[in-house]
Amino acid sequence: MSVDAMPIGHFVQQLDDLARAAAAAFQSADNAEQLDAARIEFLGAKNGQFKTVSKNLAAVAATDKRIAGQKLNSVKSEIELAFDAAQNRITVSSGGPQRDPKFDPTLPGQRLRIGRLHPITQTINELKDIMGRLGFTPAEGPEIEDDWHNFEALNIPAAHPARDPLDNFYLSVAQTCAGVPADGGHQKSVVATNHPWLLRSQTSTVQIRVMETTKPPVRIISLGRVYRPDTADWSHYPMFHQIEGLMVDDHVSLADLKTVLKLFATSYLGNAVPIRIRPSFFPFTEPSVEADYYWDGKWVEFGGAGIVDPNVLRSVGYDPEQVSGFAFGLGIERLCMIRHQITDIRYLFTNDVRFLRQF
Amino acid sequence: MLISKNWLNEYVELDMPLEQLVEKLTMSGLNHDGTTIVGADVALDLEVTSNRADCLGHIGVAREVATLFGKPLNIPNPQPKTNGQPIEARCRVTIENPTACFRYTARVITGVKVGPSPVWMQQRLQALGIGIVNNIVDVTNYVMFECGQPLHAFDFQKISSGQIVVRNAKAAEKIRAIDHREYELAPTTCVIADAKLPLALGGVMGGADSEVIDTTVDVLIEAAYFEQLSIRNTARALNLHSPSSFRFERDIDSANLDWASRRCCELILKTAGGELLDGIIDVGTRPENPQPVTLRFGQLKRILGIDVPRDFIAPTLVSLGLTIERNLADSITVIPPSWRKDLTREVDLIEEVGRVYGYDKVPDTAAVPMAASFRPAADRVLDRVRGVLTAAGFDEAVTASLVPQVWSETFSPWSDSPPLRSSQPMLGVLEKASQNIGAVDLLRRSLVPSLLEVRRINDYRSNDQVELFETAKVYLPQSGHQLPDQPTKLALVSCRDYYTVKGLIESLVAVVAPATKLNWHACQIALLDLARSGELRIGTEIFGWLGEVAPAGRKQFGLRGEATVCEIDLSLLTKHAVLIPRHQNQSLFPPVSRDFNFIVENAVHWADLETTVRAAAGPWLEQVLYRETFRDEKKDGPTKKRLLLSVVLRSETGTLTGQQADEVCQRIIGQCAVVHAAALSS
Repeated sequence: MSVDAMPIGHFVQQLDDLARAAAAAFQSADNAEQLDAARIEFLGAKNGQFKTVSKNLAAVAATDKRIAGQKLNSVKSEIELAFDAAQNRITVSSGGPQRDPKFDPTLPGQRLRIGRLHPITQTINELKDIMGRLGFTPAEGPEIEDDWHNFEALNIPAAHPARDPLDNFYLSVAQTCAGVPADGGHQKSVVATNHPWLLRSQTSTVQIRVMETTKPPVRIISLGRVYRPDTADWSHYPMFHQIEGLMVDDHVSLADLKTVLKLFATSYLGNAVPIRIRPSFFPFTEPSVEADYYWDGKWVEFGGAGIVDPNVLRSVGYDPEQVSGFAFGLGIERLCMIRHQITDIRYLFTNDVRFLRQF
Repeated sequence: MLISKNWLNEYVELDMPLEQLVEKLTMSGLNHDGTTIVGADVALDLEVTSNRADCLGHIGVAREVATLFGKPLNIPNPQPKTNGQPIEARCRVTIENPTACFRYTARVITGVKVGPSPVWMQQRLQALGIGIVNNIVDVTNYVMFECGQPLHAFDFQKISSGQIVVRNAKAAEKIRAIDHREYELAPTTCVIADAKLPLALGGVMGGADSEVIDTTVDVLIEAAYFEQLSIRNTARALNLHSPSSFRFERDIDSANLDWASRRCCELILKTAGGELLDGIIDVGTRPENPQPVTLRFGQLKRILGIDVPRDFIAPTLVSLGLTIERNLADSITVIPPSWRKDLTREVDLIEEVGRVYGYDKVPDTAAVPMAASFRPAADRVLDRVRGVLTAAGFDEAVTASLVPQVWSETFSPWSDSPPLRSSQPMLGVLEKASQNIGAVDLLRRSLVPSLLEVRRINDYRSNDQVELFETAKVYLPQSGHQLPDQPTKLALVSCRDYYTVKGLIESLVAVVAPATKLNWHACQIALLDLARSGELRIGTEIFGWLGEVAPAGRKQFGLRGEATVCEIDLSLLTKHAVLIPRHQNQSLFPPVSRDFNFIVENAVHWADLETTVRAAAGPWLEQVLYRETFRDEKKDGPTKKRLLLSVVLRSETGTLTGQQADEVCQRIIGQCAVVHAAALSS
């Protein structure tokens, strides 16, 4: 220890005195000029009192230096805090902080261009979501189908009007057997062969495919594009989307159907609405019903439904004495258009981005 | 089907409020579509489903009302008086095409006085919006709307030799129908002819030359049974739809021909006078007797989910016209009436009992068991894909699956097989400016042309930032008898350049299938700029194509600005998707970064250089970052370029020293020199 070393206690005392004096000076300042004078006196970079006292650190004994250094730092922060507080006080009393007049905070923010999902997709997602909560798993199938899956297995016999060539997109295909040049020049209609192909006219085809390969119980929704050759106008389009539900189990009745439709309508519309079912006719269900929900003072058609016809169950190898099931189908465009008050179905398929960006 | 309330009241007492009547009809299967007041009458518009042809007449609807309200049904029993002269002496009928006409009956009335029909009849027909003609034609219409059986009255003197021949039309045969238009007949058209010429389109419309007019004296009344499909084909082929064809298409009650004929004659005698010849000509096959059907009562609860009181069942079925054969403790066996061909099975009877009892009694609070549901992997991938693309500013489009030939030929990288063709085109799906480009009848093999058309429409409408994507199936023919391959693709069209779209696809793959590396391969597709395009692969499998649209393509689709397109296979993406990523520890030690500036030949691709760098860098490599390509012809000559890159190294076990990093750098520099003749810039 050197003889002229400053005792640590002395150094600490100097710092504490300084902190007190500085705080008092800052507090007593009444305006910015006085505060600035006090700042120069205590925190001035050249001759400020803090600068002067801090030089004494060099004189502190080496063994005490670490503690002395920490004290120095903490007092410095203390004085700075006192200064900040005083400055705040003076600024507030002089009418608040001054805004930079060159900065215009009302200029538009730099927006990200976020794309939108097509309203059809949004509707499908919502319906899938609701049905998922009710235990229905989505199933997919081909859009080009054979007439077994689109008609025959669905209890729609050959003479049925629904199979009229003018009411369906049957395919004519080139005979693409190996070795035959597929030049497309000699297109031959396959309508006459055993199982002609067509663009499916309903998503019930998927139900047949699922039942053909799955044993009961079955609880699925099938959804996607379907096709019927209507000329496009405000309410028709030759391509549209359907969602169909199917539930087959040991004891599935019309009461189960009505219950699921009620839950579905309630989820979709956001609150409990009355629903009703009334008799209708579809080849693939018996009894067949039309479901309505009560909205805005009137009954609104919801979709077709019914108990799966025994012929359909038999066609997929199920025993209608052992199992029963219900099926229902809804048009997505209809639901989507009602929900968003879209007045022309063609808007959905023109894809004007100004249209798409509304949803 | 319009129903006159006054008319209906003739068969069943309508003492209930109208509202209650239509409500009950709606809830039992005849949906009430509206009510119109017609003079002192009201016309009820009821929707009749195609299985309920019996309700295409007032009596059928009356039977429903009688059943619903427990009232008696009063059906007239026509017994027209004859003059005793046998019809066979004056008239002959032969059916030459028994597959189109199952049964044909004729009665003849002589000496009628044609004039206006009575006011009450006119009012009833007018309530249904049916035009008034004369007392003969009006009666045939009246009876059709009464019982659902179409009837036709011929001027008997216009029938050559009093001989009716039901046959198919002959080649080039024509007929002028009562709408006074001429129709050319197909050989499948069923006509009612006399010995020489066709007189009427069987079951569809009468002919002008044999129609009943003011001077008609003798009439022949036809009540026949035509086959559904034949009638439908004729009506469609000639675009000639009548209340008659409508009923035959839905199948009529063939056991009711005689009743309808008698009823018609009775009313003609009453309104137009004349004498009815004795007997009826009735040729063809008689209907088979309906088979008995058994309903087990237990099945009602099983299918409807409710108990129906036992004593409700038999009276309901009887009221609907079924006859009870056996009524046991647990089942009932009944014979359906001839007019209900839709009732052949137990489940059909369950529906009858259920709909009359009321589906409003079916609860909507059943205890449906819970079941787990699953979201298919393809669905989850699609969600992520859509999330990335919308975040990147792309709007989703939905376009038609059929395209015109010019689009189909423009871009079809997935398949060289000719596209499948629909037997008829989609109508009305093209925008005006594109309507002359050809029929929309090909199943698309790519989504890109459809999106380019959407881009064109948006360009034309001066919309900005047109960034679009679509996910949909394409249709790729396969050899043999397999259904076409129908994989789901993602396509996009962007105003931005090749690298931006490539970066987007790379980001997409990084999100959905992080471990998957995309490889670029050269491709030659006419639509795309040769340099700024490529085929993308994952391993050896083709993932898709990407490229800027060449000027010719932009011109073909009428685009106003630059466009980059891309189409990728979502099933391959799904195959490589990591839907549940596994956590990996992150090193807590600092990274070391080193920059390189290699001078290489222009032909050296970044992807190849990067592969070399990665291989040489060793286990500490964290990232290889491309920075910039730079050319300095003065220093390096015209065939060279400089590739600037950074390599980030990091160890999991300690802080790398400068010396360790330098060793890695030397390996990289050495390998790049050997493999790519890359020189480090000084």
